[in-house]
Amino acid sequence: MLKGDPMKTISVSAVALLAAGAVSAQGLPQADSDWFVAGETTIQEILDRQPNTNTARNVILMVADGNGVGTNYATRLFMGQQEGGLGEDYVLPFETTDWAAALVKTYNINAQTPDSAPTAGAMNTGVKQRFNLINLGEEAIHDDCSTVEGNELTLLSEMMTEAGRSVGIVSTARVTHATPAAVYAKTANRNWEDSVPEDCTAQADIATQLIDAMEAGIIDLAMGGGARHFLPEGTDGGRRTDGVNLVERATGLGAQWATNTEEFEGLTLDGETPILALFEDSHMQYEYDRTDEPSISEMTAAAIEYLSQNEEGYFLEVEAGRVDHASHAGNLFRTLTDGAAFMEAVATADEMTDDSDTLIIVTADHEHALAFNGYCGRGSDITGLCYGIAQEGIEHTDEPNLGSDGLPYTVAGFLNGAGSVLVEQLPEEGETEAPTETETGEASPEESAPIYSGSRSELTQEEATDPDYLQQALIPMSSETHSGEDVAVYAKGPFAHLFDGTIEQNVIFHVMNHAAFKSAE
Amino acid sequence: MLRRTFLTAAAALPLAGRAVAQTEDAPIKLRELYEGRQLSALGEDLLGERITVEGYMAPPLKADSQFFVLTKMPMAVCPFCETSAEWPDDIVAIYTKRTVDVIPFNVGIDTTGILEWGEYRDPDTGFVSMLRLTDATYG
Repeated sequence: MLKGDPMKTISVSAVALLAAGAVSAQGLPQADSDWFVAGETTIQEILDRQPNTNTARNVILMVADGNGVGTNYATRLFMGQQEGGLGEDYVLPFETTDWAAALVKTYNINAQTPDSAPTAGAMNTGVKQRFNLINLGEEAIHDDCSTVEGNELTLLSEMMTEAGRSVGIVSTARVTHATPAAVYAKTANRNWEDSVPEDCTAQADIATQLIDAMEAGIIDLAMGGGARHFLPEGTDGGRRTDGVNLVERATGLGAQWATNTEEFEGLTLDGETPILALFEDSHMQYEYDRTDEPSISEMTAAAIEYLSQNEEGYFLEVEAGRVDHASHAGNLFRTLTDGAAFMEAVATADEMTDDSDTLIIVTADHEHALAFNGYCGRGSDITGLCYGIAQEGIEHTDEPNLGSDGLPYTVAGFLNGAGSVLVEQLPEEGETEAPTETETGEASPEESAPIYSGSRSELTQEEATDPDYLQQALIPMSSETHSGEDVAVYAKGPFAHLFDGTIEQNVIFHVMNHAAFKSAE
Repeated sequence: MLRRTFLTAAAALPLAGRAVAQTEDAPIKLRELYEGRQLSALGEDLLGERITVEGYMAPPLKADSQFFVLTKMPMAVCPFCETSAEWPDDIVAIYTKRTVDVIPFNVGIDTTGILEWGEYRDPDTGFVSMLRLTDATYG
């Protein structure tokens, strides 16, 4: 048996054996290989697919923020290695043949590199939007309140409510942050989380819009972080300058309120009493650092149990928001530990629902500037050094590959960010300012950028796999950036088969719309 | 010209070699001083002692002061994550012997000082800390 082969995840069915046998009859020398048999099994599973054309009573949209194809690949290896395997052959919950898949183009109307606000908006409205705003039409301008009126789009959540279905949001970020906000908010600026400019009357701040939506019966459940945007200044870290206590307003409307694990476990999941559960002032903790707050999987389970009480069905958006934040920090370890937590949530959602009536969509809003080195041997730790490829056997050699500088390097790295190998050069003691490129004749007088220089260090596997390590990066930036690279979308349930090929991000809405509404017409 | 040429292999990278300060004992990782948001058992044991902690100098809040914040990872500032600067929970406020000489936020440093625990508001910046190293040197 090959070490790290795919057999652990593929059941060898009678059909597959027959198929392999048929090929063997043709005399192919590889016909007895486990890989060959598994390949035939996969083909048969795809041949056996039957389009599910039921109406989707329930729709669950699961977004790992910043989890593009590359980041998803890294999470696959990480989880496989955490479970003792080599990693490359690991199968994530949605990487089996009962899930459909497509590649997704994530750009915004005016941005090659997207941000999470218009990307989530595209999924919730069916149209691409402009950078840094949420759920406004293409004529709206970021940060310009005067362009809100007349440009508000209709949301999937509103359509669901109109049809008598329930709507819930789960996020490890603030519930007022871009991705969850796209379920209920319409705003010219994604950062207007607890206030709008003084002269802006066309819209409320995002937190107020959430409670408005809860009062209107559009949002039934919201779990995540971000309490500070609901509380007045001077109250438990509150940041609202208007003095309004939105938590009191929500509980006054009859909503349940939870802030920690004990209160979370005490929630009544009756599907009738709204839930506002905010476990942090800002974002929830990274999974690796998590204390006294539920995991994304636990929140997903609670949300599904709650929303399932509605016989008409529900729409649930689940966001793993901190996958994105860890990559912004350049710390791949937390990207992947939060990614693994997201995968657990996907598995939970799949286990708790029925493919016959529930469409589950798993995707990302955008990718990051994450890249991968070569040539690494099988089983090289995805957070660690790139080891050599073994001449014999399967697992990597014990020798790390070296760059032309004679130094080892990691499997993964970022193209920019705080892990940059270029470091700002600071002034001599007694000097008031750092030398600039102007002084060195390397820039025009108008420019006075500080000098950055550096080289790579001798890096050990212990250092590279430390949970707090920042992968090496090239361009120095205070925060690593998104990238415009494609993400994938995976789906199962009614009309999941509509996901195919390479699609625009807004098509995700149209699949949900078709599965939930049009298929019944 | 450049007093600190941060391109030596020893100092250029996060978690790479440390710049200057060395004590007899190996430096402590900042995260070892915390258990969640509370002081760890190790931290309890070390209160009042002069210890050396690995970390990074966050961009100082005030010029020419004797105060900076030590973070366990470089203090990346993410405009898409936060609308304003946000401090992690596990930080150490550093009160130095001499005026702070700034080190780039992503260059690892060792900081040596006397470990203190308890709420304290910095009179100049208003910064509230729980864990501090005082009478500190770093490099």
